[in-house]
Amino acid sequence: MARPQRWSTPFGAEMTDEDVEKLLQRPDIAAIEADNFPKHTPLSGVLGNDTRIIKFRSGDIVVREGDYGNSAFLVMSGSLRVVLAPELPQNLLGRQESRKKGFFEALTQLWTNTSVPEVREISSYQSQGLRGGAGSASARVFLQDVPAVLDEHRTAKLEDGALFGELAALGRVPRTATIFAEEDAELLEIRWQGLRELRKYDEGWRRMIDQRYRENALKAHLQESVMFSRLDEESLQAVADKVLFETYGAFDWNVAFQRQRQSGGAKEPVIARQGEYPDGVLMIRAGFARVSVKHGNGERTLTYLGAGNHFGLGELYAAWKNPDIQEMAMHTSLSALGYVDVLRVPAPVLEEHVFPFMEPPTSTTMDIAATPVADDALMEWAVEERFVNATRAMVIDLDRCVRCDDCVRACASTHGGNPRFRRHGRTFDSMMVANACMHCADPVCMIGCPTGAIHRTVEHGTVIINDITCIGCATCANSCPYNNIAMVAIRNPDGHTITDPASGKPIFKATKCDFCEGQPGGPACVRACPHDALKRVHFRELNPAETGQ
Amino acid sequence: MIRRSSLPFIVIGILTFALVAWYARTTWLQLGNPAIVTGYTLLALMLSLGFFNMRKRMSMVPVGRSSLWLAFHVAAGVLAIAMFWLHTGTVWPEGTYERVLAILFYLVSLTGIFGYVILRGLPRRLTQTGIEVMYERIPAEIGEIREKVESLTLECTEKTGSDTVAQHYIGTLNWFFRRPRFGFSHLIGGDAAGHWLRGAGSAARRYLNGDEIEYFDQILELGTLKVLIDRHYACQDLMKKWLLVHVPLSIAVILVSIWHFLLVNVYAI
Repeated sequence: MARPQRWSTPFGAEMTDEDVEKLLQRPDIAAIEADNFPKHTPLSGVLGNDTRIIKFRSGDIVVREGDYGNSAFLVMSGSLRVVLAPELPQNLLGRQESRKKGFFEALTQLWTNTSVPEVREISSYQSQGLRGGAGSASARVFLQDVPAVLDEHRTAKLEDGALFGELAALGRVPRTATIFAEEDAELLEIRWQGLRELRKYDEGWRRMIDQRYRENALKAHLQESVMFSRLDEESLQAVADKVLFETYGAFDWNVAFQRQRQSGGAKEPVIARQGEYPDGVLMIRAGFARVSVKHGNGERTLTYLGAGNHFGLGELYAAWKNPDIQEMAMHTSLSALGYVDVLRVPAPVLEEHVFPFMEPPTSTTMDIAATPVADDALMEWAVEERFVNATRAMVIDLDRCVRCDDCVRACASTHGGNPRFRRHGRTFDSMMVANACMHCADPVCMIGCPTGAIHRTVEHGTVIINDITCIGCATCANSCPYNNIAMVAIRNPDGHTITDPASGKPIFKATKCDFCEGQPGGPACVRACPHDALKRVHFRELNPAETGQ
Repeated sequence: MIRRSSLPFIVIGILTFALVAWYARTTWLQLGNPAIVTGYTLLALMLSLGFFNMRKRMSMVPVGRSSLWLAFHVAAGVLAIAMFWLHTGTVWPEGTYERVLAILFYLVSLTGIFGYVILRGLPRRLTQTGIEVMYERIPAEIGEIREKVESLTLECTEKTGSDTVAQHYIGTLNWFFRRPRFGFSHLIGGDAAGHWLRGAGSAARRYLNGDEIEYFDQILELGTLKVLIDRHYACQDLMKKWLLVHVPLSIAVILVSIWHFLLVNVYAI
């Protein structure tokens, strides 16, 4: 078998050379300096392999606010609308409406749950609002009454040549607005790899994308950091103008991680290396990074950084405070755990706007290095297994757990008789992280859902699946690096598998822990444990010693 | 042994006992019948103890954390024993029906205490095995190990042309790999299984050449894994099955007590 190449799997299987030629005729694409692209990644190759042309019919939702996506869109023809205010109701977006059950409604599950697994009422799928072939990746949620939406919501028009979705795709942050097709439209969808190449090799695209980020999100992001929270508008603007954007690791890190789990370790992209000169503070905008130090013949993980944390401040501050010190080097290394989006704030900017007004850092990650290695073995394991991504991991204390499965039964009793997790998983010492959805900070499962059925709830940030609009494509289940999403064949109340009349194949739905969203009293698994052995935790809580730098 | 969450219930239990005992004594001093207050308290306690099992079936509604219910169950169970003695005034009452009731009550109490003790001790022993296996999966796990051992044995015979390992498997090891063994030893924390594996299980080793030893060591390694799985089986089995004794006995005690209550109210008062 030949070694798979960069473009072995094109984004759009139907992209032809004619399509690429047609694209190259467009003024916005023709403006790209094709000569700046290297021979191994020519512009025509990027267009042919990292983009695809998709058609949307009037009312089709292109992107939804809150969704995660790995692609940007360029309008080629037709017009689209961005919903500004008020937001579209959740049910119009193909999501599950959040509703808390009352005590007695919850109690009815005592006798309404069936012994037949995964029973569904077919009638509930009649109003799913999908078109484009349920069961295929081309299925879309659409707005049935576009004029009414336009009447009731303030919107802005997007026409030929408009680019959108690039910040969410590159920054791995949720989409900030919902966009739908007002009339039939043709769009060029550019996957993140192509977007990265365009930004890397074309000055115009880089300037445009960076400028948009600077205008739309950067200042708000900087203000969230304690470092810059005291700056006035003018100083903040000066800092924002100098910040550099960097990304490390693969966007689809989950695929590599699953492979790595089977085949052994893989090298993480290094962002900053121990011993090198620090030229700026690195702020993590999205994703996770490992802070490590050389220890024996290996690397010892001291902590991990997530969105909002920064790296290198202590060293730079010390260098500024003690200019006589000749050799100022990084004490630790920083490497990407999957995909990391980083802002680099150059040292001179900090020296001018931040250091003169800030308190000296009271502790550094090197303080952690003073503790015995055994003390942070748990954290080392959590980083290695990427459990640091978890915001609500199901952690079971095996010294307390009597293996009674009351948690599993409680889960089943709140989900129509079907448990939504397995009391099995990776173990460390007396701790087990069970196979239950961890409601990740970086939810890779949400990337690529064609109907937006898997989404975060607005109220609690829980990742849930709308069973009505789930088309059973298994994109989410295949993406989950922890195997916490299960595909199940649905059945009639009489126990027969429901099949697609056209193909005769069973209809599948994605299922997972929904953190008992809508159930009174919170997650039933936690309440049901008689020995307080089961907890739902954010992994930071398990490692109180490290809270970022 | 006693968790912090149980402490409030233990304090409340002691206070309740003191209050009921004081009231019963006052009633006795006033030539009343102290058995009425102690009997009603005991019946109420027994019914409330039974609610714990019902709570397990009502996980879909917020009726308090199960761990608090367990803490209450334990404290109320101990209080019920004390209340039983206060009510009967003896550890062994007179009359056949009362003796039946007492035997059932003592059995429920003993199985309860037994359950409490094993549920505190066995999980830690399972953690220390270093592996985690679901109870329902254990037969399949043992089956897989046995298949591996048998294929290793066959391969050893084919590759080395000697059937010493195969003879040892048929004569000795087959007994061990067929099903979970040394259950009692696992329960009391012994290492009879490891001892057997190092002794009778390894007895054929001295008759093997280098190639055969390689296969034999792999078989013994699988044997060591099976010892750990057997430990899981023994401990998890007991942690599940003690309830099959405790719960039916509890139901029997409640039913017999209710009949006792009816008889007392119809004939004695």
